[in-house]
Amino acid sequence: MPGDPARQGIRDPRLTKDTIEAIRIRFGLDKPVINCIESLNPVKFGPCSINPFHTQFFIYFRNLLRGDLGQSFYYNRPVSEVLGERLWNTILLIGIGQILAILIGASFGVLGAWKARTAIDYWALLTGLLAWSLPTFWLGIILVFWGSNHGFPIGGKATPGISSYPFFTQLGDLAWHLILPTFAYTVIFMGEYTLVMRSSLLDVLSEDYILTAKAKGLSTFQILKDHALKNGVLPLVTIIAINLGYTVAGVIQIESVFSWPGLGGALFEAVVRRDFPMLQGGFLLIAVSVIIANFIADLTYSYLDPRAQTE
Amino acid sequence: MGLQLVELKTSISASSPFLGFWKSFSKNRMAVVGLFMLATIIGLAVFASVLAPFDPKSSANISSSDIYNPPSAVHWLGTDDAGRDILSSFLFGARVSLIVGFFAAFISVVIGGTIGVVAGFYGGRVENLLMRFTDTMLVIPDLPLIVVIVALTKPSLLNIIFVIGIFGWTTTARIVRSQTLAVKSRKFVLRARAIGAGNGHIIRKHILPLVMPLLVVNAILVISLAILNESTLSFLGLGDPSAISWGQMLNFAFLRGAMSAGAWWALVMPGVGIVWVVLGLTLFGQGLEQVLNPRLETHHLMPGRPSVESDAVDESAGTKRKSKRRQDAPLLLDVRNLSINYVSDESVAKAVHNVSLQLHQGELIGLVGESGCGKTTLMLALMRLLPAAGQIANGHIFFQGKDITKLTEEELESLRWSSISIIFQGAMNALNPVRTVGDQIKEAILKHIPDYPPGTLDDRVVELLDLVGIAKDHKDQYPHQYSGGMRQRAMIAMALSCNPEVVIADEPTTALDVMIQAQILELLDDLRKKLGLAIIFVTHDLGVVAEMCDSVLVMYGGVTAEYADVDTIYNAPRHPYTQELLKSFPDLSQPEKRLVSIPGYPPKLDELPIGCRFAPRCPLAFERCTTEMPKLHELDDGYHLVSCHLIESH
Repeated sequence: MPGDPARQGIRDPRLTKDTIEAIRIRFGLDKPVINCIESLNPVKFGPCSINPFHTQFFIYFRNLLRGDLGQSFYYNRPVSEVLGERLWNTILLIGIGQILAILIGASFGVLGAWKARTAIDYWALLTGLLAWSLPTFWLGIILVFWGSNHGFPIGGKATPGISSYPFFTQLGDLAWHLILPTFAYTVIFMGEYTLVMRSSLLDVLSEDYILTAKAKGLSTFQILKDHALKNGVLPLVTIIAINLGYTVAGVIQIESVFSWPGLGGALFEAVVRRDFPMLQGGFLLIAVSVIIANFIADLTYSYLDPRAQTE
Repeated sequence: MGLQLVELKTSISASSPFLGFWKSFSKNRMAVVGLFMLATIIGLAVFASVLAPFDPKSSANISSSDIYNPPSAVHWLGTDDAGRDILSSFLFGARVSLIVGFFAAFISVVIGGTIGVVAGFYGGRVENLLMRFTDTMLVIPDLPLIVVIVALTKPSLLNIIFVIGIFGWTTTARIVRSQTLAVKSRKFVLRARAIGAGNGHIIRKHILPLVMPLLVVNAILVISLAILNESTLSFLGLGDPSAISWGQMLNFAFLRGAMSAGAWWALVMPGVGIVWVVLGLTLFGQGLEQVLNPRLETHHLMPGRPSVESDAVDESAGTKRKSKRRQDAPLLLDVRNLSINYVSDESVAKAVHNVSLQLHQGELIGLVGESGCGKTTLMLALMRLLPAAGQIANGHIFFQGKDITKLTEEELESLRWSSISIIFQGAMNALNPVRTVGDQIKEAILKHIPDYPPGTLDDRVVELLDLVGIAKDHKDQYPHQYSGGMRQRAMIAMALSCNPEVVIADEPTTALDVMIQAQILELLDDLRKKLGLAIIFVTHDLGVVAEMCDSVLVMYGGVTAEYADVDTIYNAPRHPYTQELLKSFPDLSQPEKRLVSIPGYPPKLDELPIGCRFAPRCPLAFERCTTEMPKLHELDDGYHLVSCHLIESH
């Protein structure tokens, strides 16, 4: 296994063999990972005589059922505690960012489709394509560079020492720190939403039932609001669900550029530090959020489209 | 002469499909700009070693005073944290980005293409298994996984290519599968299978050529994603340390004080490179898709063209026909010399030319003609619902004295449905699938009678549905829960909801079985008698018309062929087209009659003959028919209108 935590994590030459062994026992690293396939080397194929209940995998699984995600090698604190703190920061960032991206992206898309083949459509499409092509981290770098010359904080979530100030000052400080990362997040996702919404609405607006609505004497605004949007938004729901599942784990790039103490940053640090319990916890969280996001998407879908309910 | 030119044009495009492709490609601005952006960056990457003023890997002759120098004559784009020339690193960085992008995308496209073709072609359990696997891979966030795997393995270029490649194939697999499914059921594939071609042969010779264009477009998008992923990895410090890439340049600049040194040049240039390539690929891909798979970029909410009077015609003859059956009834709709063109950048298609018709209260006019002779265009124009390319080129539509061709958008909104409503051809898609039928009927009522007593609104909807024979418990159902016939009847109920004076029924019974057809026709006739509606019934079935119509307007190639009372049309038709049409449908009183179909096809609207539009198919055509368009002749004291030269020669 590349990066054995016992060797990689503890590199202090002053530690004695006994201390290292004690650390290994403390984190349960003395036990085999999985029974029998401890090593993939056929010559060193491990004995199967070890009780499978004493393997690292089973112990992790048993602890998981009790809500225990293990101890972080680096922080020496329970993983759930560290991830819990980070989760809220990420949810704050992606919550605001996604809502803004959906609102702005969908509006651009609707505008582009409605005014198809005009200058408005041209600019909406170009904005969408450009936003889609921007590398996330580069946009972040440029924003940090620009922001540091215009009085914005370079990174982090709060100015050091702010905790001694009154609550509203702290809140204002948090908002001040949130502006640039949220802006970056919004721009990155906005482009995709613009493109999807525009393309989907172009299809819907050439459907027969739109002509029926027009023949009924409805105004353009009524047709868009009551007939086109509910149908046109369906593909967007799927994309948003996939994106949400992705980004609950944090946008690694944005969080590292802005030093935002979120999950993405935690995940990346865990990789660099070979902090396996943190990594496992992080991926578990990703899996759960992907499942929840898809579940919400399914519910939304069947609410919006009656054809999905009957099947 | 004109005919020869057209033939010449088609032979060129048929002999060289590439030329045709190039022609439409070069017209697509997005594709051309994208190709240009790509070509420049590929050129720079290929000739990097020639173009680069310095060797980016050598640190000879670099002193500490060279660090973060701004752009100058020696270093066009300045220097980086180690005093190296940024332009040189930029050029070599292009190589790495493109290499990783192309090879990773190649892996993705091969995996995705194989899975897609196999799943789509073999179907059944194989498809189920492969597509579930693809769905699972699709929702797994790829970036965290790629980061972890690359971090835990050796950070070499080959590893990065491989890891990005095996996580990027899901969209390809889905797109290729659906295209394979579509191609698989095409006739030529079924035919190849019938003559005993093996699976391998069918996939290679028939499926792949048709999947290929889509695969190419998708591959371009996959390349751009791979390039973005590579730059992210390098930026996070997980790239190949021995290969200079744009992401790595940004990583060094970001971590090694470019920010505090104010060295914007070190931060901007590599990012511009990434955006340049990715935007170039995206534009090229989008443009290519538009060229390969042209989609009508028009829709129903695009503003129509204003009415003009450019095709002025002789208004003297045949503009107003008298009706025997409805002599005393008030005139509702008076269409005078109406011409409609479809205007595009290249051509003008004259869809309807100089047509007049008069509709009285309680009258039922049958509008008859083959597909593509302008019937639907004419009907849409009556409500000003023409598609964006359609334009009223001449004439007037008077409805109770108001000229519909001159109404503003607001006036049109209040006129539609409350005065004239329409039942569309094939109501399958004419109802909104995500709203209940009752809701859609209510909406029409509330639009035109906003203060309709809310308590009785539901009763009114039930009453309307009952009128067309739909039980009230279907009121709150969605269109997909209705059968085809029910949908058509619901459409009729909706058309009657605002008590219009005129109802246009545009082939309301196509695609329905004979029993339902009869029911719906009976229903319409019934409603006409009960409610005093005036109906224009569009059909290509003369038999339908015979039973219920008062008058019949026969159209051919966008012009009036014959217009008369129904008895005249059946017993004394004067236009050869009407006569031929009558021969082609069965008559119960003459069971021995041999049915004859008219050979040939209606003219294409952009290649109309100079003379009579029916002349090429007319059994009685003579020389004058090919050179001169016949006038509309009034017979029988103006009760019978015919446009045929034969009337004069008799």
